[in-house]
Amino acid sequence: MITGNLKASYAADERVLDNRWKQGFVLACAAGIAALAGFGNDYVILIACQMGIMLIAVTGVNVVIGYTGLMSLGHAAFVAIGAYAVVIFHNAAAGTIPAPLLTLLALPFAVTVAALIGIVVGLPSLRVKGLYLAVATLSANFIVIFLIEQDAFARWTGGMNGINTPTANLLGWDLDSRREQFLLIAALGFVSLLAAQNLFRTRVGRAFIAIRDRDYSAEILGISLYRYKLMSFAISAAYCGLAGALYAYFYARILPEQFGLDLSLMLVAAIIVGGMGRTMGAVFGVIVIVMVPEVIKVIFGGIAGGGAELAQIRAPVQSIAFGALIVLFLLFEPFGLTQIADRALRALNRWPFARG
Amino acid sequence: MGQFLQFALNGLMSGAIYALIAVGLVSVFKATRVVNFAHGYLIMFGAYFYFTFAVLVPQAAWAPEWLQSWRPDWMVEMRADLPMFSPLAAVLDWMANLPRILLGLAGALICNALLGMLIERTLMRPLMGQSVFAMIMLTVGLISILSGTAQLIWTSDAAFVPALAPNTPIRFEMFGATIFLFGADLANMLIALAIFAGIVAMVRYTRSGVAIRATAEDQSTAYSMGISVPRVFSRAWVLASTTGAVAGAILATRNGVSPALGLFGFSVLAIVLMGGLDSYLGVFIAAMAVGVLEALTQWQLGGEWAGIVPYVAVLIVILIRPHGLLGSKEIERI
Repeated sequence: MITGNLKASYAADERVLDNRWKQGFVLACAAGIAALAGFGNDYVILIACQMGIMLIAVTGVNVVIGYTGLMSLGHAAFVAIGAYAVVIFHNAAAGTIPAPLLTLLALPFAVTVAALIGIVVGLPSLRVKGLYLAVATLSANFIVIFLIEQDAFARWTGGMNGINTPTANLLGWDLDSRREQFLLIAALGFVSLLAAQNLFRTRVGRAFIAIRDRDYSAEILGISLYRYKLMSFAISAAYCGLAGALYAYFYARILPEQFGLDLSLMLVAAIIVGGMGRTMGAVFGVIVIVMVPEVIKVIFGGIAGGGAELAQIRAPVQSIAFGALIVLFLLFEPFGLTQIADRALRALNRWPFARG
Repeated sequence: MGQFLQFALNGLMSGAIYALIAVGLVSVFKATRVVNFAHGYLIMFGAYFYFTFAVLVPQAAWAPEWLQSWRPDWMVEMRADLPMFSPLAAVLDWMANLPRILLGLAGALICNALLGMLIERTLMRPLMGQSVFAMIMLTVGLISILSGTAQLIWTSDAAFVPALAPNTPIRFEMFGATIFLFGADLANMLIALAIFAGIVAMVRYTRSGVAIRATAEDQSTAYSMGISVPRVFSRAWVLASTTGAVAGAILATRNGVSPALGLFGFSVLAIVLMGGLDSYLGVFIAAMAVGVLEALTQWQLGGEWAGIVPYVAVLIVILIRPHGLLGSKEIERI
């Protein structure tokens, strides 16, 4: 039981995981993921891969919405840019760079491109905020998808019909099965989460939080809004770009419409359900958001054995479920599942002396 | 020049419909400080209600025959000896549809008003006084709920809906060029402009309009002056959803009924921000400008480019004037 802040040195206070429970939790998670990669069946691995990709993207959204307080409804655009950057890089560099190195170079390339475009999309955040920024990012999302769909770029992007994606190859190791891809996704997801947790221990992360809490006060304290708002957009776009790159490696084909408004809303829904401004919020949110369609599938299968008519109803029911999740969490639990988890842990901690 | 005028006129006609949709967004914002991201989906519901009452209900087995197609004897006689494309024949064809058009409009208005009231009561009111973020995100969640519900209820494919006005072709000379318009489009524009003007006049001169403006100015003062602020809220939502119903009916006759109508709301959102959230005049200018720009883009670059015109325009305007063309600047205190 933790009864207080009992740190004896600054080094102990500055650690990313500042107590034994957190360290134990992270190690247990790592062990759990390793076990999953070894023993999970194909279906579990598939779901876990989807969760891993979404987790990286939602962590990025969390940086900009949850920590910096800038409302963005256009993060699917960065996922799209990451995905297309990987494909274009592979196609362009296929002859010149040896295949074993391609993936190792394509991932940083995708992340960099997404971050640069993130800075461009973040430019309106210097002038406007709140609602105006939400619409500006939404517009950016529409424009990016529109440009990808254009015939003029179809030679590189495949236009409306989408484009086939390459398989990842790490130094000669072809990641052509779901299980192998899971290892890559899980490793990168794990590192991204720890990096996010670390970010908010540093000067940059704390500047973000100051901007969220009151941007003018932050500026008076000497935080350059110009610099840190753009940096926040760049970091979150980089996360989304990484997610997009993994998305491209994971699926055999990508289509521009997969990165539209629906994906943006899904990312935001995940962070609202999970809890904004908390590292674990992204984790909880992603688990819920990825499981909802699966649960609906199981329920529908249980009711009618999955007839063709029911399959038609499934998509609308799923979208109603997403909307209802956002609305219900905003109305009844605005801080999301992390808040519920906190409450439960606190009750456990104080038991049997006090509740709640 | 002739083509330019033709496309500019087409642009003005769609700009008027943008203005009609925008008036709902502005009214809700003025009264409640909420920007409704799901407004496009309210419009989609309006279109589907119009489709239900103007097409599905008259087709039902229990509906009387005159509802489907009203043809009294005198009309049949008059129709019989008219040539193929005469304007009078188009008017008579329209009159045969008149009962179901009226039923459709009435049904769309009533159902959409109820829907708007329901949303305001159950979702928006509990969040009054909360952060802007929560309210915007709530309407974002509403997008998913509304589009899913519409797909559940109306599974049938998009079908033909009767136009609101006789669809006679109109041809006239202007600056030495021949302009070609459809009667229904012109009537749609007039309806949209009339409703826009009516609402602006209402907000300016009537008691409930003054109540809306007072609430916009200062909620608690309005309360203490005896204005029922919750009633103002629900009135604004009804206003938005009924104008949305008319706009939905018009859009349904132009583009057909489909879930894609919801996306229309986002371009109008862009227009509203461009004009300035709380200025009817600014929004009107922005709507007309975007309508014309869209039509000209369609002429010069092709139809698909027209779709992103509002978004590019709003980005440019926001970067230069963060509060839109004529919007009032928010004053923030630390």
